[in-house]
Amino acid sequence: MENNGQGSSEERKLQCSDVSKCFQLLESILDGEMGEEGKEILKEKLDKCQPCFEHFHLEQAIREVLKTKCTKQPVPHQLADSIRQMIQESK
Amino acid sequence: MSESQRRKYTQEEKNRIFDGEFMPHIDSMYNFAYRLTFDEDDAKDLVQDTYLKAYRFINSFEQGTNAKAWLFRILKNSFINEYRKKSKQPAKVDYQEVETYYNSDDVDFQGTTDLRADSVKDMLGDEISNALNALAVDFRTVIILADLEGFTYEEMAKILDIPIGTVRSRLHRARNLLKEKLRGYAQSMGYKTDEEE
Repeated sequence: MENNGQGSSEERKLQCSDVSKCFQLLESILDGEMGEEGKEILKEKLDKCQPCFEHFHLEQAIREVLKTKCTKQPVPHQLADSIRQMIQESK
Repeated sequence: MSESQRRKYTQEEKNRIFDGEFMPHIDSMYNFAYRLTFDEDDAKDLVQDTYLKAYRFINSFEQGTNAKAWLFRILKNSFINEYRKKSKQPAKVDYQEVETYYNSDDVDFQGTTDLRADSVKDMLGDEISNALNALAVDFRTVIILADLEGFTYEEMAKILDIPIGTVRSRLHRARNLLKEKLRGYAQSMGYKTDEEE
């Protein structure tokens, strides 16, 4: 786990000078809004800043869990058919 | 709207667009509707209404543009304009929460640095789902659109009729609120959330 691995964090600064701005930027990168430029900024941040590193992994984990656990609401079987039928009737 | 635009598609084209471009999104639409209404019957009605409107206004859909975003916009508007009024179970809006976050410039979230990626990964579906459902509808919506459905900020701006900058900041605030709720669950599950000494 990255948080307690002293070795992995010893070269990173432990305080982030602008947490709010950095975290928002990391989120935009994770959202795929920063393109190629985002990849470079990300590498720099993850290499050099421990709070950014932790925030990035936390955000990534939350997204994965959201995507796997919150998208499986079973659709009622007849829904598609009843929509088609209502449209037929409305023609 | 000109005559040519109104009569843009033939019956055959309409059917092809409807079946080929609209219906494949029914799972995502239903999931969105259910997470807005928290009720299976209401979600079903909302999706039905949305598809009926989509068919009725199919001539204002431009082929080659994003059908899913177009449908989500209709669903969101139906929810706001009609559904919320007649809802058996009105969307729970915690105005205090909304006020605090909309009016505050101080959105730094130092508190979440002690929520660990590992404890999130170990959470069962219920915790994350409950945390999402507990958010005020505006915040819940941006997380659904971005993280569950993968819409871009630009698409979200169109779906929600808000500027891209607002999408970005609302999403950031929504995620902070979500992390706050998850931290509560992580603590109650007995995960160590304090910084290790």
